[in-house]
Amino acid sequence: MIFSSYPYLVFLALTLVVFCALEDRLPGLKRTFLLLISLVFYAWWRVDFLALLLGSTFINFAIGSAITRRFAQGRSTRALLVAGLGVNLALIGWFKYAGLFAATANDLLALGVPIPHLFLPLAISFFTFEQISYLADAAGGRAPRYSLIDYTLFVSFFPHLIAGPIIRHNDLIPQFARIRSADERSDDIAVGTTLFTIGLAKKTLIADNLAPFSDAVFLATQHGAAISMSDAWMGTLFFAFQIYFDFSAYSDMALGSACMFGIRLPMNFNSPYKAASIIEFWRLWHISLSTFLRDYLYIPLGGNRFGSFRRYANLFITMLLGGLWHGANWTFMIWGALHGVYLIINHAWRKFARAFNLTAPPALQPFAHALSVLITFTAVVFAWTVFRAGDFSSAHRLVSAMVGMGGESHLLTFGPLAMGAFATLFALVWLAPNSMEITWRLKPALETRYKDAGLRKTRWQWAPSKASAIGFGLLFIVSVMALSNLSPFIYFQF
Amino acid sequence: MDSRRYLLWFFGVAGALVTAAVAFNALADAYILRHRAGASVQLVSGFERVLKPAWLASLKPSMVFIGSSRARIAFDPTLVDPVFGVRSFNYGVSSASAYETRRYIQDVAHQPFVKTIVVALDAFTSGSAAQPYGGGFDELRLSVTAAGTPTPRRDLWLFTARYLSGGALGMHGLGVWLLAQLAPGELAADRPDVFPEYGHMTPAKFAHELTRRAERTMRMTGWQREQLDASLAALCSSSAQVYFYFPPDNMALIAHYRANDSQGFSAFKHAVQADVARHNAMCSNKVRLFDFMNENSITRDDAAARGRPSPYYLDPIHIRPPTGLLLLQQMLRGHGVIGTEVKTQ
Repeated sequence: MIFSSYPYLVFLALTLVVFCALEDRLPGLKRTFLLLISLVFYAWWRVDFLALLLGSTFINFAIGSAITRRFAQGRSTRALLVAGLGVNLALIGWFKYAGLFAATANDLLALGVPIPHLFLPLAISFFTFEQISYLADAAGGRAPRYSLIDYTLFVSFFPHLIAGPIIRHNDLIPQFARIRSADERSDDIAVGTTLFTIGLAKKTLIADNLAPFSDAVFLATQHGAAISMSDAWMGTLFFAFQIYFDFSAYSDMALGSACMFGIRLPMNFNSPYKAASIIEFWRLWHISLSTFLRDYLYIPLGGNRFGSFRRYANLFITMLLGGLWHGANWTFMIWGALHGVYLIINHAWRKFARAFNLTAPPALQPFAHALSVLITFTAVVFAWTVFRAGDFSSAHRLVSAMVGMGGESHLLTFGPLAMGAFATLFALVWLAPNSMEITWRLKPALETRYKDAGLRKTRWQWAPSKASAIGFGLLFIVSVMALSNLSPFIYFQF
Repeated sequence: MDSRRYLLWFFGVAGALVTAAVAFNALADAYILRHRAGASVQLVSGFERVLKPAWLASLKPSMVFIGSSRARIAFDPTLVDPVFGVRSFNYGVSSASAYETRRYIQDVAHQPFVKTIVVALDAFTSGSAAQPYGGGFDELRLSVTAAGTPTPRRDLWLFTARYLSGGALGMHGLGVWLLAQLAPGELAADRPDVFPEYGHMTPAKFAHELTRRAERTMRMTGWQREQLDASLAALCSSSAQVYFYFPPDNMALIAHYRANDSQGFSAFKHAVQADVARHNAMCSNKVRLFDFMNENSITRDDAAARGRPSPYYLDPIHIRPPTGLLLLQQMLRGHGVIGTEVKTQ
């Protein structure tokens, strides 16, 4: 069920009504109800893969419980942890990457291995990572024993199930026991509804309307067209804005939905295009993924504990695998590698600047900051070409066109309309407050784990008032009227 | 204000707007479908991709016209129905792509009430795999998927498209506004000021359009041909009589096609002929193919070039609805000799 669809709106409304009734009369049943309804949500897509989701959940629960027990007894948990990680990696490896690896082996070594054409189970990348973090925490003594219902609900809670945020067990499970007063419930539903509306508007009024322009350019390159420089830049910029609004819309709608049920999910998106460095970008973009990669891959690899070279190597490996996590295509890995290189350059530059005490004079600092934002944005946009291209030759065609070595095409017109659209989009991503900043008064999300990547203060803070209720009510209906059945979220495919 | 009152206002506003939108759409839809000249709204360009699948499901027509704006403007059910004793429906959409045309053919071929299907072939020269369809197109509203299986939950998509979409609001608003301007007893044909589809090509328009379309070609790519073949495959099991035609673009424009890409132009016609012939050899449900895109009594029309309004054309590629009636007379009844029937068996 896509969040921006009529079935989901009906599903959400009915679920919320029943949940509130249970909260008042039978609070003991609300977890079971949420679990059942989450499984219905998943089964709406394909009922047969429900067995896979539940199977994975039960196996991880069993292994995690055993690890917790052994840890409490002071016995080694290593073998169980390795087994658990093996099961999860085998599952995601088989369903997501087997086809890619087999095809690549055939291409490189002419092995003639049969290529499995498997249907990718929805959300497998997300629920696998969440369970890996649980097993790792259990082995480190950081996971208490949970009931099966709590654990299954942690994995399958519908607002985060399909496309994140990637949530930690100890962030979510303790919230299931929360008892809300009537006032707290009203606050939760009010802020959740507002956040959901902002997300819905971003999706249906902005992201979906940018998609045809970026699709036209990227699909043309996939079909071998030599496009012009202007088309290449406009198509890539449109995609950069499309994925920004699409993913932030999804995050807002996920967080808003969870809020209505009294659950706070982690903040996942915090105006990443305002970042003045790639390091900052990754503290603001898909925050739950970057913190997962930091805590469960980068730090276990050694992090920054063994000198600069190891640190850079660890960064590169982390980003490489983070890229591949997005999908079974080497272009994602190259995208990750590009960001790995960006991060290495960024860290090296910081070290260099610190060593030589390079800082802009106070009067020039706003300009230096603006330049840094522009350079960061350009680097991110450039990397999106590989991310979206689909294959290397298309990416090559697109990048060639961006540097003026393309052909002649007139897919998009750089006229007053396009200029107005870009001016509006840049103003929104660089100057406007984000949805978290607007609604933070009622804290609709868990705070980011990055201590220095907090929210900026804004005068546009939302508070319940008649004017805001009418405004958001109108925005909600206008967004609903623009719903499209053909535009799932980009991150659903991961 | 406390959150409870905020929610009351929020849902009050949202509920009131939804109710108003649904009520307006329901009333406007009924008004358009029941109005004596309501079928002429099918000729109008706006958000037709949103509403036409729902209208098809409601009207259950026995004859359907499919294609680009050439078909959308050419066939007015208010003219066609009394002449042929049918209930017809114009499924033409502006700038229809080959994929959309294929999908509309699949949709119509799946409807048991449709007995006659008329398709303008120029649509199979539009669109690409990179841009398979136009804005507002949503194939979940069609009765079958591209693979030919029934569309899941189609009733829900039709309902939301008809009553809860911005496109429906726009198309209904436009339709009601146009029909409201007709005096009692008037039809669209009487008011070309309201329904410009009934206008006549003027010398100025003729000159302007010819200049604007000076680079035009008429050729079919491999991808577009795949859509044509998928359409023919869908028609193989249909019981409807099927007519394909090359629309009667004005000779001045056909001259451009020949001058700009003569080979592509003739290859397009030969490819269609070959594919229809192959279909007719394999399927019991034959497709009849007519060529009006050649020199004939309509395409030779040079009234506008000589300073008079054209009796046949709205502009060099769009024929007026009365001209569309002449094409149907030849295709369906064999009356008159305008174009030629292409041998495909």
